[in-house]
Amino acid sequence: MRRRLALGAACLFLSCVNPGVAEEPVRYNRDIRPILSKNCFACHGPDEHSRQAGVRLDDRAYATGEKGGLRAIVPGNSAASRAVIRITHPRRPMPPVETGKKLSEREIELVKRWIDQGAPYESHWAFEPPVRHPLPRVRQTAWPRNEIDYFVLARLEAEGLRPSPEADRYTLIRRLYLDLVGLPPPMAAVDAFVNDTRPDSYERLVEELLNSPHYGERWAAVWLDLARYADSKGYEADRLRSIWPWRDWVIRAFNDNLPYDRFTTLQLAGDLLPEPSQDQLIATGFHRNTMTNDEGGTDDEEFRDAAVKDRVATTGQVWMGLTWGCAQCHNHKYDPLSQREFYQLYAFFNQTEDSDQFDDRPRLKLDGRTTTLIMRELPPEQRRQTRVHQRGNFLDPGDPVEPDVPAAFHPFPDDAPRNRLGLARWLVDKRNPLTARVAVNRFWARLFGAGLVETEEDFGNQGAPPSHPELLDWLATEFMRLDWDMKALLRTIVLSAAYRQSSDATPELIERDRFNRLLARGPRVRLEAEIVRDQMLAASGLLSPKMYGPPVMPLQPEGVWQVVYSRDRWETSPGEDRYRRAIYTFRRRTSPYPALVTFDAPSGEICTLRRVRTNTPLQALVNLNDPLALEAASHLAARVAREAGGRFEDRLRHAFRLVLIRPPQQAELDRLAKLYEEARAKLSRDPLAASKLLEPAKIIYAEDRLEAIVPGAAAGAVEWRFRQADPGAGWEQPGYDDGHWEQGAALFGRIAPKKPPKEGEEELVYNPPPVRTSWDSERLWLRRVFEVPGDGYENFRLRVEFRGSFEVWINGVHAGSSGEESAGPLEVKVAPLAAATIRPGRNLLAIAARRTAAGDGDQYIDVALTALRPPALSPPRPDDAERAAWVAVAHVLLNLDETVTKR
Amino acid sequence: MSDRWELLRNQTRRYFLRSCSVCLGGLALGEFLGYAARAAAQEPSAANPLAPRRPHFAPKAKRVIYLHMAGAPSQLELFENKPALRKYDGQPCPQELLEGKRFAFIQGVPQMLAGQYEFRRHGESGLWLSELLPHLATVADELTVIRSMTTDQFNHAPAQLLMHTGNQRLGYASIGAWATYGLGTENQNLPGFVVLVSGGKTPDAGKSVWGSGFLPAVYQGVQCRSEGEPVLYLNDPPGIDRELRRTTLDALSDLNRLQYEQFGDPDTLARLGQYELAFRMQMEAPEAMDISREPPAVLEAYGAHPGKMGFANNCLLARRLVERGVRYVQLFDWGWDHHGNNERTDLRYDLPRKVAEIDRPVAALVRDLRERGLLEETLVIWGGEFGRTPMRENRGGNYGPYIGRDHHPHAFTIWMAGGGVKRGFVYGATDDIGYYVVENPVRPHDLQATILTLLGLDPYKFRYPFQGLDQRLIGPTDEAKVIRDLIA
Repeated sequence: MRRRLALGAACLFLSCVNPGVAEEPVRYNRDIRPILSKNCFACHGPDEHSRQAGVRLDDRAYATGEKGGLRAIVPGNSAASRAVIRITHPRRPMPPVETGKKLSEREIELVKRWIDQGAPYESHWAFEPPVRHPLPRVRQTAWPRNEIDYFVLARLEAEGLRPSPEADRYTLIRRLYLDLVGLPPPMAAVDAFVNDTRPDSYERLVEELLNSPHYGERWAAVWLDLARYADSKGYEADRLRSIWPWRDWVIRAFNDNLPYDRFTTLQLAGDLLPEPSQDQLIATGFHRNTMTNDEGGTDDEEFRDAAVKDRVATTGQVWMGLTWGCAQCHNHKYDPLSQREFYQLYAFFNQTEDSDQFDDRPRLKLDGRTTTLIMRELPPEQRRQTRVHQRGNFLDPGDPVEPDVPAAFHPFPDDAPRNRLGLARWLVDKRNPLTARVAVNRFWARLFGAGLVETEEDFGNQGAPPSHPELLDWLATEFMRLDWDMKALLRTIVLSAAYRQSSDATPELIERDRFNRLLARGPRVRLEAEIVRDQMLAASGLLSPKMYGPPVMPLQPEGVWQVVYSRDRWETSPGEDRYRRAIYTFRRRTSPYPALVTFDAPSGEICTLRRVRTNTPLQALVNLNDPLALEAASHLAARVAREAGGRFEDRLRHAFRLVLIRPPQQAELDRLAKLYEEARAKLSRDPLAASKLLEPAKIIYAEDRLEAIVPGAAAGAVEWRFRQADPGAGWEQPGYDDGHWEQGAALFGRIAPKKPPKEGEEELVYNPPPVRTSWDSERLWLRRVFEVPGDGYENFRLRVEFRGSFEVWINGVHAGSSGEESAGPLEVKVAPLAAATIRPGRNLLAIAARRTAAGDGDQYIDVALTALRPPALSPPRPDDAERAAWVAVAHVLLNLDETVTKR
Repeated sequence: MSDRWELLRNQTRRYFLRSCSVCLGGLALGEFLGYAARAAAQEPSAANPLAPRRPHFAPKAKRVIYLHMAGAPSQLELFENKPALRKYDGQPCPQELLEGKRFAFIQGVPQMLAGQYEFRRHGESGLWLSELLPHLATVADELTVIRSMTTDQFNHAPAQLLMHTGNQRLGYASIGAWATYGLGTENQNLPGFVVLVSGGKTPDAGKSVWGSGFLPAVYQGVQCRSEGEPVLYLNDPPGIDRELRRTTLDALSDLNRLQYEQFGDPDTLARLGQYELAFRMQMEAPEAMDISREPPAVLEAYGAHPGKMGFANNCLLARRLVERGVRYVQLFDWGWDHHGNNERTDLRYDLPRKVAEIDRPVAALVRDLRERGLLEETLVIWGGEFGRTPMRENRGGNYGPYIGRDHHPHAFTIWMAGGGVKRGFVYGATDDIGYYVVENPVRPHDLQATILTLLGLDPYKFRYPFQGLDQRLIGPTDEAKVIRDLIA
């Protein structure tokens, strides 16, 4: 049967070219199931609630049984089968016209032939255990390097194709580096590899990379998509949370090569192991990556329920490639999972302590201030009763259910506890037909750009059939034979001749197999978002090798983080944290890092098994205009000048190779030289532009130029003139005499005594702000003269911390207001007209404030005025235009299509 | 094999055969792009997923401007004239209206609260409008008012998600994303789906309300900003001007071509095209976003002030964008959550201020579109994510000095104009206190089905395969109704 499956998939491709496969028996899984699944099962499938007219086509006994004297399928007699009569009905065809679905002539022909051949059914391939097939015979016996290649080559030979030659050494080392560690190879490693004539040089390189600490960073990034990892809670307020220790655990787990079964068990149920270690508890953060809703008036149970449902759906997706989530409202329409079975799975996850609480408890205290979210099982007396939710509504409970696994699969292990630990054992049981297949397919897809099963997220009836079924099964059985050793699996794949092929393609080959499903060439895909960024930093020499730790905030455009009810600000991290690998970038669900999202990184709201790759002009904008790309270019240009000596062509070659690894061709060098000349000529006419190109970092990091023109109260006692009674018209004008006003130091206000924390809540550390002048009335007027040290100050901003409304004037011109009520620190850009009045020397800041309706809480106002001092660019040098022209060249190199492509 | 992959594949193959020979023949890039732009077909092209595509049937509306008042404006102060509610003002709310209900803040038994403003009839249609909407009243005969909107979400974030993505949970595609996925966009130099935000904050549900969910990221809304660069990463970085940019792009393009000749990857050509599009977007987007180019009379009509952030400016921008072929413009205006827990959320003190911010620009937008002949094919929609209670909110069980209303999912009002909907028409009705819909209820899925239909897309057939299901904006069941009565 397996053999036929392989042939079947082959026909999938052949059929476009040559539909003449008349002698071949029609196969249910290959030919018929996709037609029925796409067109019929929604109304005539396993879900009895949506079933129409009592007709069921996914099950032979039902389909061939008699109902009201009619039979949907009469084996051996298509003409007498109601199904055929209806799909060919001239006026009322099935599927109904309004569904927009229609069987093609060819599909109708296939269904007829299948019925005439006796309508044999087969069970869905993915629900049968993988079988280790003997290696197929091949003609080109010199080509295969390992078992993978026999399966690939047999298929190619059947298609009349030949594999591509091995890629050159430069391409191979770049491909291996990008795939295994997510970074480009350093130049020294490239030269060493290219000149390494030892027969096992490739194998040595693979070992070296599998043992690199960056291996864990690369593969953890893949896992974070599945785990819907983020550093915030999601939903409305999307407040920040600390669960990054789990992310670090994943990186270490990959580096330590934790076997996949252990990796699974610790994440799903580490807390249920006897005397779990701290690490085993951290691992359970996997399913604590669900979202928490802080919005006022929400029912905690509603969102606890949403989190549990998400855990069931995510578990089905990640480990078994099945869309269990569909069954929360109704029986699955295509796959064997009833609604009742969904809630039996739900019951495994329904006994944990977390319940959509504001403090995200339970949490584990690590060192000092660091905590991380973990799973903890409820004590026996608090266990919840799980019931089916009718129509998926948690407020509408139906029959009670007990934890169990879907009946269509292998039974739950007899000796396993009916909890998450038992479920984890069932998932990684070697009888599970899907776990190994789904895992190897995922590794394959990240290396080749597409899985052997293209629909990584769906191995069920609606999923795509595997392009190489026998290879998929061989890899799955091999993975289990290797005791779930992930590095060993990766090693096996990258050592194959299939992986080492050149990815260059002739137009004929592209026309024949545009997406390289036949594997007649090597992988060639746009790099993942993280690698696009990391590579740019690495090539220029900016990348920080620092691993682990709290998420960092690299440069991002201003104003991207604006979330309702939130005081959290994006403040660019200092020092090397600006240049960390993308995996350490802060992930906020409602406001993900824009450069990564543009390259198709997910937001962490839902489990993402496969990123859909897009090509958009916004990606071009990111790589062209992200100031970080320019900074990388200027760094790269400086690096080239430092490392490549004085000869023009040596420099050009060096720059090219730092980015693209391979040596350039003459035509490429010529074109780059022309660009250099044009840019140099232009920049020699524009020295200011040249100096900006040379030192972009001095311009783009606003934080580094930030100066407190009027410091806030935290910096010390800043003196103001103030009044609590209406001063009358003109008080905000520079000419106004405030000599009769009182004088006092900020803060102005009062601090109320704090209530003790409520039962079960953690005590918050509270440092009351330094009130220096008492203010307890409703309104307050403030004036202060401030000094601007010199010319070129820009981007004046007011930072006001106040619960109430306020208006601000600078030099008598309206400069800004709270707009609506401010409930915390608010940053207001000084209005352009007011900013235009600010001169070096003395200026006047005037504020009128009105607090929120009386309450017994704190009341205070803290005002600061900041500005960016002009960038301290280095004094001009005679060779500025030349050096800046190199930046332009480097910028182009970083933007080349080949740069963002794995090939 | 899923439909989508098959379609993309075929499309790409045809595209490749054509474009490959064009480019190798050394013809100009413009022709190469021109091909992509002309390729109108039902399925998106992998080379240019935003190229215009034919709808399922002839559309009434070609573009949409959706004005969302985030926080949920009070229908009882703006559109619903309920004299009966005045009678019950201050009386305790009957128990049967409270039983089994969940409120965000109301506790115990709240009092009924009369509408705070006078209503009058306007236009030939005699549409009831509150005294707070004098400008909207002048275009009353252009509007279709739906008084019978109802939702099942009573919190902002899930309710906004339901209105825009058809699902209260995160991870689904917004209508704008669906529209650009289905129809592409007319102007390749601007994003196809633009989002403009005012009121100082993004909506409660964050960027997910204009997200692409499971659709490719290319269809997500692009937030254009009136401060800083209009589109993220649109401005040239320091030291690079247009001349130097053109010089570097020419080099980039030549080098990419050399690489294409060497390696034969058709994606190289697609990406080469994207760089040219990006270059043109850098030219056109700032121009489109610059309202200072409008004559003073237009600025005056909208109440717009160049350089100042705000809803009026965004309305004018919306007109400039649809005029330039943008498919879907989504405005969010924050600050409509009038709970009455302080002066700034009081129905008497703050609502008039908030309404005044939008009344003039919205009316100007409708009139401006009409005068330019754009209204016929531009669907304008105005509304919030739910309504507000006929009861006065009693946060913490008490009444303070301020007046407001709590979240009310059972009934609210939205209106539409242009784009093939009836003029001067009222649809649906609520009971005499505005608590429940009593006639022609319209759910978010019904509204979405109707919007898609107006755009020429069949809401039942328009789908995207994801996670084993044919995902649709209107959800998996066929309960959503196209409200044919709204369509002219």
